[in-house]
Amino acid sequence: MKTLILGLGNPFLTDDGVGVKVANAIEEELNSESNEDITIEEASVGGLRLMEAMIGFDRVILIDALLARNGNKPGTIHRMTLDDLNAISPTQHSACAHDTTLATALEMGRRIGLALPNEIIIYAVEVENVMDFSEKPTQAVTRTIPLVVASVLEEIHPTQDIK
Amino acid sequence: MKRITIDPITRLEGHGKIEIFLNEEGNVENAYLQIPELRGFEQFSVGRPAEEMPRITNRICGVCPEAHHMASTKALDALYHVEPTSAAKKVREMFYSAFYVTDHTVHFYALGAPDFVVGPDAPAAERNILGVIHKVGVDIGKQVIACRQRNHHVIKMVGGRGIHPVAGLPGGWSKAISTEERAEIEDIARQNIDFGLFSLKVFDDIVLANKGYVDLILSDAFTNKTYYMGTVDENNHPNFYDGKIRVVDPQGKEFVKYPPSDYAKHIAERVESWSYLKFPYLKGVGWKGFQDGLDSGIYCATPLSRLNAADGMATPKAQEAFEKFYETLGSKKINGRYEPVHYRLATHWARLIELLYSAERMLELITDPEITDPNVRQIVDTVPDEGIGGVEAPRGTLTHHYWTDEKGILTKVNLIVGTTNNNAPIALSIKKAAQGLIQKGTVITDGILNRIEMAFRNYDPCMSCATHSLPGQMPLEVVIRDVEGNVIERLSQYVD
Repeated sequence: MKTLILGLGNPFLTDDGVGVKVANAIEEELNSESNEDITIEEASVGGLRLMEAMIGFDRVILIDALLARNGNKPGTIHRMTLDDLNAISPTQHSACAHDTTLATALEMGRRIGLALPNEIIIYAVEVENVMDFSEKPTQAVTRTIPLVVASVLEEIHPTQDIK
Repeated sequence: MKRITIDPITRLEGHGKIEIFLNEEGNVENAYLQIPELRGFEQFSVGRPAEEMPRITNRICGVCPEAHHMASTKALDALYHVEPTSAAKKVREMFYSAFYVTDHTVHFYALGAPDFVVGPDAPAAERNILGVIHKVGVDIGKQVIACRQRNHHVIKMVGGRGIHPVAGLPGGWSKAISTEERAEIEDIARQNIDFGLFSLKVFDDIVLANKGYVDLILSDAFTNKTYYMGTVDENNHPNFYDGKIRVVDPQGKEFVKYPPSDYAKHIAERVESWSYLKFPYLKGVGWKGFQDGLDSGIYCATPLSRLNAADGMATPKAQEAFEKFYETLGSKKINGRYEPVHYRLATHWARLIELLYSAERMLELITDPEITDPNVRQIVDTVPDEGIGGVEAPRGTLTHHYWTDEKGILTKVNLIVGTTNNNAPIALSIKKAAQGLIQKGTVITDGILNRIEMAFRNYDPCMSCATHSLPGQMPLEVVIRDVEGNVIERLSQYVD
């Protein structure tokens, strides 16, 4: 199964880039493996460009920041499907102000016959600060990074022990 | 207090809030757009090597990383006092043209067209690119995605990375174009020209053929007579990569023309207590408050502005489209150039003319014999001090200004991003639309909210740039206050 692990966000905007930091950490973990089925990327995009990044993959695991509308608790991790994402709210980067939401972009992609993944899993981390420029996430968010990394590794290697 | 909830699908970035203040009669007195500001970009940059900036600033914005990358790279040229080779300049501009084609494509089909194709009164959930496909047919969606894919392929091939490019270096570009790549890009440029012509035809068929839409474009509620800014070449034709900045007055007379490095001599910034945004204006005219006209220093920097600031287009098909634009909108020629068009909704049309120009320019450059010259880099052996780089970003003139010590470590940074130029005209446009659409006793509907949104959507305001922020969730709230400041109406795109 061709899998894309995509960390979203701006790595220079405190907690905003938590997805990128997770993706980088996964890349390090998998460094010794040569697995052609797994692609790890990072980007700060949403909407159409995010949908386009998924073309040709069977499964996509997105990692993104989330500012919950009510009762945001920094450091909380959510594993969501696309339906959950639509029902709750977009994560920080899944929608693009300059075109459309990820859901609309995916529906469009399917309508025009693009090869889009059947399975999209989203790891959303509730964040605290996406307003200050810094390469360092807040403490609550920093603590979640190894947990999200382990969860994503478990998704892709469910039968193996994670070191 | 009555609260109306609007569909959560939004097409505006930033936690945008429009506040509309009514007067004693219940008519609109003032209207403002407010967005929060992100903090600390300058502190973040100071102390870093300047050559990191093309790869840092291209993260400011997920929408036009290419524009920041290019402005930053040009600022490094100036900082290190190095002139890029001729081939490097052509490679950069060719790359930048491909970016313009994709960017203008997505704005038109995903943001601009839904208001006209699906209609300004359609439910917000349908006013999106899916609605366009539903109405016009699936083929249009295929064309849009194909256009984006082929140009993203060029961006990746030439820029070294798909989304956040890395190829810009002081004095040039890290990689030359091979003959095989050249042939492939030539084919893509030709397809882009066809797509540009097709898009103008779509505009003709859907917008211009509909009297209701033409009347909307020509209506007073969407008209502001400001100064216009755009980068031009030696023939006063728009150039997005390089040139001088030209400003024309509301009657179309050249007001000033200057190299981007002189921006501080001509542009000042106004601070208002109610907004984190700064409002740039022309020093030579002065700040006269939020009003348009010849005496107000407010200027606009958009696709419409770039056409207004130019005498014509540098490529033949775009020139034809340019003439049709001004003739159709009733602009007269004075001293050999068209009077400016002040209808803000015509910006969508101007954007498509720029798309066609970019496609033609891309073909010109990729068929230039020098484009495969491997000599794409000058060696830097000077001591850096200060440098300014400017390009036309799709959303307005973009300026990067860096100061460093003798080792190239940043000591100060200033950016004037595309949307910032347009902060004051956006405020003007919102106020005018609100005044035109809301009078005493008006029942405020989703359609009215959307028309107020249309007043600034044509600018494609990039709040992530204007505030250095990158929010993905994009609530828009419209708050209407009476003469005492009490909230009497609130329209929110949140769903509680």
